[in-house]
Amino acid sequence: MALLSVRELEVKFFTRRATVHAVRGTSFDLDPGQTLGIVGESGCGKSVSSLAMLGILPKTGRITNGEVLFDGKDLVGLSDSKLRNIRGKDIAMIFQDPMTSLNPVLKIGRQITEVLTKHLPMDKQEATVEAATLLQRVGIPNAADHLDDYPHQFSGGMRQRVMIAMAIACRPKILIADEPTTALDVTIQAQILELLKKLVVEEQMALILITHDLGVVAGVCERTNVMYAGRFIETGPTPELFARPRHPYTLGLLKSVPRLDAVRKEKLDPIGGSPPELTNVSPGCSFAPRCVYATDESRSRVPDLRPIDGPDHLVACWNPVPDEDLPQAPGAEWAVR
Amino acid sequence: MLGYVLRRLLLLFPILLGLSLLVFLFVRALPGGPAIALLGERANDQSIEQINESLGLDQPLPVQYGRYLKNVASGDLGSSVRTRQPVTSELSRRFPATVELSLAAMIFAIFAGIPLGFVAAKRYGGVLDNVSLVASLIGVSIPVFFLALLLKYIFAVKLGWLPTIGRLSLTVQLDHPTNFYVLDAILTANWTALWDAIKHLILPAIALGTIPLAIVARITRAATLDVLSEDYVRTARAKGLDPRVVDRRHVLKNAMLPVVTVIGLQTGLLLTGAVLTETVFAWPGLGTLVLDAIRFRDYAILQGGILFFAVIFVLVNLLVDVSYAFLNPRIRYR
Amino acid sequence: MSIVEAEAAQLNVDRPSGLWVDAWDRFKRNPAALVGIALIVVFIVAAVFAPQIASFEPNEQAGPLATNPAGPGGDHLLGLDQQGRDVFTRILFGARLSLLVGLVSVAVGLAIGLVLGALSGYLGGWVDFAIMRLMDLMLSVPGLLLAIGLVTIMGRGLFQIMLVVGIVQVPTFARLLRGAILGQRESDYVLAARSVGVPGHRILLGHILPNSIAPVIVQATLAMATAIIEVAALSFVGLGPADPRLPEWGKMLAENANRLEQSAHLVIFPGLAIVFSALGINLIGDGLREAIDPKLKS
Repeated sequence: MALLSVRELEVKFFTRRATVHAVRGTSFDLDPGQTLGIVGESGCGKSVSSLAMLGILPKTGRITNGEVLFDGKDLVGLSDSKLRNIRGKDIAMIFQDPMTSLNPVLKIGRQITEVLTKHLPMDKQEATVEAATLLQRVGIPNAADHLDDYPHQFSGGMRQRVMIAMAIACRPKILIADEPTTALDVTIQAQILELLKKLVVEEQMALILITHDLGVVAGVCERTNVMYAGRFIETGPTPELFARPRHPYTLGLLKSVPRLDAVRKEKLDPIGGSPPELTNVSPGCSFAPRCVYATDESRSRVPDLRPIDGPDHLVACWNPVPDEDLPQAPGAEWAVR
Repeated sequence: MLGYVLRRLLLLFPILLGLSLLVFLFVRALPGGPAIALLGERANDQSIEQINESLGLDQPLPVQYGRYLKNVASGDLGSSVRTRQPVTSELSRRFPATVELSLAAMIFAIFAGIPLGFVAAKRYGGVLDNVSLVASLIGVSIPVFFLALLLKYIFAVKLGWLPTIGRLSLTVQLDHPTNFYVLDAILTANWTALWDAIKHLILPAIALGTIPLAIVARITRAATLDVLSEDYVRTARAKGLDPRVVDRRHVLKNAMLPVVTVIGLQTGLLLTGAVLTETVFAWPGLGTLVLDAIRFRDYAILQGGILFFAVIFVLVNLLVDVSYAFLNPRIRYR
Repeated sequence: MSIVEAEAAQLNVDRPSGLWVDAWDRFKRNPAALVGIALIVVFIVAAVFAPQIASFEPNEQAGPLATNPAGPGGDHLLGLDQQGRDVFTRILFGARLSLLVGLVSVAVGLAIGLVLGALSGYLGGWVDFAIMRLMDLMLSVPGLLLAIGLVTIMGRGLFQIMLVVGIVQVPTFARLLRGAILGQRESDYVLAARSVGVPGHRILLGHILPNSIAPVIVQATLAMATAIIEVAALSFVGLGPADPRLPEWGKMLAENANRLEQSAHLVIFPGLAIVFSALGINLIGDGLREAIDPKLKS
């Protein structure tokens, strides 16, 4: 039985001007201890799904369809008070910008202990001790001294570690990391990702890593789902996806990443055009306007996810990338170590 | 932060000096000349000569200023033209009444304004939000003396719920150890007087406090709206905290920073508002003192009153700045 | 003219109007602002066409002298005052006075304040220091008290009063413009202009000022409301325009403040006139502020 089972999730935002179809029917399973990457451009709806699951969408957003089964219960339609018992305790989330994601007027220690005292039968003193331990685990030296510090006294990388400490405080079964490294320097990025990997093993925690950066999923995630315009258009084991990207969009993503070992004269190959406005629900595949393989069928019918190259690798495409257009062998080297 | 406080304290002296210079020049520029102004039009030649001497009016200006400073520093602000009492004693006699009124008005503005602004922000676009916006706008468009008159007319004259003038009914006895009537009543356990004093305080405080209330409510609303859209509020929600905890510890605590600044800025409004409100309710405070001084051309009191008000204003602003520095960890821990 | 110059000329024409057209659009859609415009139109019409609308003269004795003059009724829409003058007429002519006062005071405040602010912001150094310290000093005395002090010295003529009310607003404008200029001075487009050799005063007048003007416009609008209320307040403390024939709303209110019970109409109508004029101006000012920068919620 999967730990988390999402079926046909749809999320819409109702604004005065227009209705935004942010998530258009996504489904996936997550097993205990599994690492899943969700990849896509900004605005494709990847963060929205997680916010929706936890019930912390902005006021204008709503889940309009689908179910999210966690531990047997459907999170959709659950009252906020019940969801609060799950948020921060069984499912935790960390966000992109550590500079703005911490309360500037509250001490770091307090921001950690408040999660502990809310969800666990601890008192203030026990929580304080535990907070120091947590800071230690995420790699902050002299943890106990820092409990009384304020966020502005920390660097970006340290703040993200604090966020992680807050998230794992109650030993959640799932950690959702929404672009955890995007706002950080490259060297710090690597450290944070290593920390996440270590915690996944130590805590036996499932991880959903949301990012637009392919390099990030390559090093961390067993499986990857590629999202475009509110839908998953390709899912599969990460090495498989990198070696055999069957959706033209995935292929495009891979090809547009500059390679250190590329022959000097090769130009970068961006994907022409821009992602569609999520206010329109056009018939057919949403990628079709930018796709070199598009046919009339692509433009008129929405493809659903079907197995290709094996039962684990699914792609939503009428005209998957043929073998001769696949990237060369080097993709396989990016597999999870 | 200590450095910050010290620097602000240091800046205080040039400002106070500047103020004294301003008032000094003011007195020198009064119609009829400083001697007549400070003594009154019916002064005899002997007193005029005396004051010319003591003020050193035949001396060069800088010397005069020096003398003036010496006087002010030793607490001598001259004597009232009307009552011949020292200006400082008149000021200190009336001071508690105005402070009591201003405090009551401020408490009203804060305890009504902040919740109003907060709830309006949380129910953005709702009925309360729009109503509060309209009310705020009317609040800043109404002259305080008109509001005071209206309130007096409706609640005191027409409905008779509250007294029209003064701090205490004529029939009520009260000892005045502090001259703050509410405090005095509590200290002497005089409960009838306490209730009477509070009744007299209500209308003037509401009249004086309504405009600051409108401003506080608006700023609270704006600050709360800003904070609600901040990432750390999302983090707090993602941690599964109770909504009330999120509101209190994460939203309000941050929204209060700009609000505190604004509250401090209201002091100016309160001071000038006191001048206008006190007269409507015959409240025996600094405001009526200044007003009478204008009416009777008691320039001695007027210059003392202006100086006094300005100094209070500057001190309160300093206090507000320091409190803000204390409340904002980014400044407190540089 | 080369293609580049032609395109550049085109840009200069298009960019400012694009910005203002957007702002005007947002302004039009703001219901509160439109209410404000309605109120102000009434105000201006009353002020400009007072002689035509009113049936009487503002100082004409249209009725009997009375200690308890008649309230609204009959020929007199808003009643009579103690001198037998028609209240409605006086309110209309009072609108003229208030409009004049509002415009002149703000003009004075703007003129002086902007010059000081521009000098301070652009020249910096000890000029900035001196000017700002002077502004700080002026701001240490609460507004009304400063006005009281100045009127005491300068006298109660109408012109002096408008001058005083204007002077009291100088620090606000000076600070505002200085802040805006400081913000713009280091921005990229100014650096670009400087690097191409555009002289200092050209940069100030042609580049920085137009971009700093928006908050000043908002403040100027709000200052008009403040000016009207401030003159009324001065009248209330007995330092308003000395001429007893002037139908200044604040003075009308002040003269009858202690006769509220008997002659409420003499207090309420002038008061309401002040409130609605100030409200209209504030609504417009607020609407402007939102229209110019909708992201600014305060």
